[in-house]
Amino acid sequence: MLTGYDVTSTRLADQIDAQSSPPDAAGAARTSIWGDLVEVMQDVVGARDLVYQLTLRDIRIKYKQAVMGFAWAVLMPVLVVMAGILIRFIMARASGEAVGGPVIGGMAVKALCWSFFVGAIGLATTSLITNMALLTKIYFPREVLPLSTTLAQTVDTLIGAVAVACLLPFVGAQWTLQLIWVPVLFILLFGFTLAVAVFLSCANLFFRDVKYIVQVLLTFGIFATPVLFEPQMLGRTGGRLLMLNPLSPIMEGLRLTIMQGRNLFAPVVVTLRDGAPFVAWSPWYLGYVALWTTIGLVVSVVVFRRAAFAFAEYI
Amino acid sequence: MPLVSAAGIRFEQVWKKFRSGQVHDSLRDLIPSLLRRAGTRSAREHHSLEKREFWALQDVSFHVAPGEALGIIGPNGAGKSTVLKVLNRILRPTHGIAEMRGRVGALIEISAGFHQDLTGGENIFLQGAIMGMKKREIEQKFDQIVEFSGVGEFITTPVKRYSSGMNARLGFAIAAHLDPEVLIIDEVLSVGDLSFQERAFARISEMVRSGIPVVLVSHQLDRVATLCTKAIFLEQGKVRMAGSPESCIAEYVLKPARTTEAESRASYPVRIHALHVQSESPIGSGNFVQLVLSGEADEGANGRFDPYNISVRSAQTGKLVFRVQGTSLGLGFPAVGPFTAHIELQMNVPAGIYAIESGVRERYNGQFNHGPVAYVQVADGVRFEGNVQMNPRFRVTHNADLVTQPL
Repeated sequence: MLTGYDVTSTRLADQIDAQSSPPDAAGAARTSIWGDLVEVMQDVVGARDLVYQLTLRDIRIKYKQAVMGFAWAVLMPVLVVMAGILIRFIMARASGEAVGGPVIGGMAVKALCWSFFVGAIGLATTSLITNMALLTKIYFPREVLPLSTTLAQTVDTLIGAVAVACLLPFVGAQWTLQLIWVPVLFILLFGFTLAVAVFLSCANLFFRDVKYIVQVLLTFGIFATPVLFEPQMLGRTGGRLLMLNPLSPIMEGLRLTIMQGRNLFAPVVVTLRDGAPFVAWSPWYLGYVALWTTIGLVVSVVVFRRAAFAFAEYI
Repeated sequence: MPLVSAAGIRFEQVWKKFRSGQVHDSLRDLIPSLLRRAGTRSAREHHSLEKREFWALQDVSFHVAPGEALGIIGPNGAGKSTVLKVLNRILRPTHGIAEMRGRVGALIEISAGFHQDLTGGENIFLQGAIMGMKKREIEQKFDQIVEFSGVGEFITTPVKRYSSGMNARLGFAIAAHLDPEVLIIDEVLSVGDLSFQERAFARISEMVRSGIPVVLVSHQLDRVATLCTKAIFLEQGKVRMAGSPESCIAEYVLKPARTTEAESRASYPVRIHALHVQSESPIGSGNFVQLVLSGEADEGANGRFDPYNISVRSAQTGKLVFRVQGTSLGLGFPAVGPFTAHIELQMNVPAGIYAIESGVRERYNGQFNHGPVAYVQVADGVRFEGNVQMNPRFRVTHNADLVTQPL
């Protein structure tokens, strides 16, 4: 039976080779990176109602049957800030530095960013496989799944942001013109998170262990981002290394504009404990993060789009 | 590239390769498999089969123009759903071209997008969006959808509390209110209870008759015969037959019976050339169908070969409904030369498609040689349930006054 099958298939293969029909469809359909990007943009814009409905679904199911409802959106950053305060007090006892309002305010802002990133990545990584029934049955641009998960997390974060904004005047934040940097930095954060989300959702479809690796990285990642401390506390080299993480300049930028009213076009130099100067902020960091976000989005979207045709087969 | 003008479906020499068994889906398996692939990669990658791979579709082609409805029939695993998935861009063909022009409405897994925690109403918006409807469009059709589904006040209840029938009805109601330019339908005709099925079928018929191109996959062959203008019969990924729905259905249903056909026919001295249906199709249940059977007897027939064998088989189920031998009817044997028989059969059967098979039987050893097959469609005259049309006649009197004359 099996041998007979093999013989038939070989003959079939010869038959195709002999065909004068159009060449391999996969080869003919291959497009440029730019073409892929344009196509994805058109598809997603065309499916905006679907993005809206999926986002709404994710928000609804999160808060349905949850006693605390939207308080959850605030609770997560609050817990991070509490942990941060605890750590800072311990460090303060060792170094003699006081933990004041601005420190808590900065941590609250950064904790909100961090919980956005963690929440979006955690859910988006599994967004394709939890919608397996859809992927194998119905056609729609697959990009909408990680996108709507990230958008649903954005709504969470905006609710949290309202709570944080209520807290900020009490911990020393000032209304300055520099607050216009906040939306810019948030767009960078959103773009970078989306890039990672799109890439990981696709990777997790093909390799199911990706989500475990992501869990581990997200758990320890808080120490590779300046959520609970400032980069200069790690010293010159440590601080610089920390700022290589694309999330670090976003978080530090937010802290500097909100808590200190800094203009991000001007560098910020602080003094390290040993008296040496340290560049806590340079305008170049904006470009650095924008570059990461752009390259990340292009790579992840193109990889995703080119892998999408195989989703239903590999899932 | 030549494209189908306006709305249409084109499927040209499509091949699709599948792999059976597990594909590597943990990183641990990836590295060895990449190494193996790097070693064996070649230009023939798309054309040859590796271990555990098989062709799910082999050189499948069809076109569906506006106003046409194509039925795809075949046994489980024949590749019917794969065809729809390739059409619907869920799978990419290994080779060939699959193309649809126009806004696609897919009646496939009509409640796949439902979230169990959301209410019926919320799910209408979600599923509608997944199927490609705009929010405003759903808002406009919302009441119609609810009405059609018969879900009623449960529309504000989470779907997890629905019965499976309600679930399916709601799903179908959403799909039925798509306004597509191209329609593909996969096995959604058997949703809900009998009365809902009637409505669903009526709705689909309406969509099909609106003149858009349609591809329909179903095991309910009578529905295929009623809805479709043409059909293909798939088996093991290959098109076994393309043509009229009736002929494809018959080929599919009768295939096991006909495999012996070619073997010994030539050696028979009595052959049947044709079996023609002379009545207008469809035939009302209980009415007569008229057939003409013609053939030829050679020397050496010797009164041993009986060509007047008629079997009637339901094309939907393949079950034998009726069979009679010429010898039982006392018809005798044909003389040398051409012969013709006019046959009348009273189709006392439910609506459906029936295959009327002819054949030549050897008198002594009972050997049977299959001849041509004719197909008739029987339509409901008076609706009835059961297997036999009993042609009921009622003579009704009320207070001794005759109310109804016998039929």
